[in-house]
Amino acid sequence: MLVNQEKIIEALIETIQMVAFSLLFSAVIGLPLGILLVVTRKGHLLENLVVFNIINSIINIFRSVPFIILMVAIIPITRLIVGTSIGTAAAVVPLVFYAGPYIARLIENSLLEVDPGVIEAAEAMGATPGQIILKFLIPEALSSLVLGFTIATIGLVGASAMAGAVGGGGLGDLAITYGYQRFDTTVMLITVAILVVMVQGLQSFGNILSKKIRRR
Amino acid sequence: MIEFQNLKKVFESGGQQVAALNGIDLKINKGEIFGVIGFSGAGKSSLIRCVNWLEKPTSGKVIVSGHDLMALSVREIREVKRNIGMVFQHFNLLNSKTVYANVAMPLTLAKLPKDEIKKRVHELLEFVGLADKANSYPDQLSGGQKQRIGIARALATQPSILLCDEATSALDPQTTSSILQLLKKINKEYNITILIITHEMSVIREICDRVAVIEAGKIIEEGTVFNVFSSPKTPTAKNFVSTVMNDQIPDSIKEVIEKQQGLQKVFRINFVGNSAGQPLLSQVAKKFNIDFNVLFGNITELQGTPFGNLIVEFQGPDSEIRRAIQYISQEKVSIKEVTTRAS
Repeated sequence: MLVNQEKIIEALIETIQMVAFSLLFSAVIGLPLGILLVVTRKGHLLENLVVFNIINSIINIFRSVPFIILMVAIIPITRLIVGTSIGTAAAVVPLVFYAGPYIARLIENSLLEVDPGVIEAAEAMGATPGQIILKFLIPEALSSLVLGFTIATIGLVGASAMAGAVGGGGLGDLAITYGYQRFDTTVMLITVAILVVMVQGLQSFGNILSKKIRRR
Repeated sequence: MIEFQNLKKVFESGGQQVAALNGIDLKINKGEIFGVIGFSGAGKSSLIRCVNWLEKPTSGKVIVSGHDLMALSVREIREVKRNIGMVFQHFNLLNSKTVYANVAMPLTLAKLPKDEIKKRVHELLEFVGLADKANSYPDQLSGGQKQRIGIARALATQPSILLCDEATSALDPQTTSSILQLLKKINKEYNITILIITHEMSVIREICDRVAVIEAGKIIEEGTVFNVFSSPKTPTAKNFVSTVMNDQIPDSIKEVIEKQQGLQKVFRINFVGNSAGQPLLSQVAKKFNIDFNVLFGNITELQGTPFGNLIVEFQGPDSEIRRAIQYISQEKVSIKEVTTRAS
């Protein structure tokens, strides 16, 4: 094996950092966008088709660009924000561009599942749009939102490994530079195994949490 | 309390304009239980939703407690809504929250102090008979219990108006009856005006004071429950009344009689109030030389007044029958000749 244990742990930490930070920023961007996608649509709380169509199209554009191309295409923006286009911090920028719109879609799906009757009841009580979102929509969709975030997190684990290909660091980087380019099958197997365990763990955690919220 | 003036609501659907409400004029008085009945699609849902602005009318006026809603700002309408409770067919409770939190929701929105909310919620749960369910979740309750929670929630802000949107349509007959009794109790104890929309005439009969029949976005008949039930004018109203007050000669009996000799003189006699307690027919039989054949009879209570309905065949000489009818007409009953086919 061409790498030692420390190197693998270092890569693992980098992956976790990339996923954690990009998840955080994507959520900050995706959550409001997802909510807007729901409440501005026709017949909803704050119907506004102009806002809806703009957000909808932008999300579709980002969602249709393959991640590997997106990563390269936004290098100027990455440089602008982080100062460099190489390394773990730099990988977070394209990951956010990738996962933000994705999370917005997942949130949109979850919120649309909420029984319209509940929203009607809220309106009948004289709740403001803000109150309806915070006290009705989100709590009612929470269990489904957790599952959505689980999917997004797992998506980010995969994408972060790809970010390794352009010098993003992490497990993906390790797998490509040692496992692939230098034919070290052991490194390849170990990184893949770690990724499999991570994904399994995340999915189980998400399922348990969602179930707990749903109480069933 | 609630007044609709030439209320219209037009929906745009696929380029076509559909009028859900087509000029409604209706006045609901303070403290009464008013029922609006109609088939699905008649516009009753739109009508009740105009009271708390869940639907904005296209034109006309909605006046609630003296406020013309058209003239109010969104914020002012929110204030008016706090004075209107609403109960839904499918309860519309938050499944993610406990019974306590559901009932507390309108008070939380109004930003009341926590201890005040606690006191009020326990009062309400006590009132609807579910004090022990405070920490349960809606999906652990039966339909009737869910509706009781829905009612408790609707009453949380101590509204003066309660809107019931098909509140019992998803419940079995026994539960329906208990929910209706609860609504009656609310009306009596808190003097809350209740507007009910339904397609079930039994709901109207059981608790309403007045009723309006809606069809194609228009009120086609309106009056006290007693008047509409005892003498419905429009075919739709007659249809609804017949769903709860059977006044048709059963087919099997019709057949038997027609086989024998064909009916001669068949009359429908309606008894109202005290007259329902008099032995009218036997008096007539003694006074005149005729016989009776009772084909059908029932008695219903409408708003506490007994209402009897008899279909009787008179047998005897024509002159005697005429005199008997004259005699009956002088009493407080109505008599009308019917033929078996038309009845």
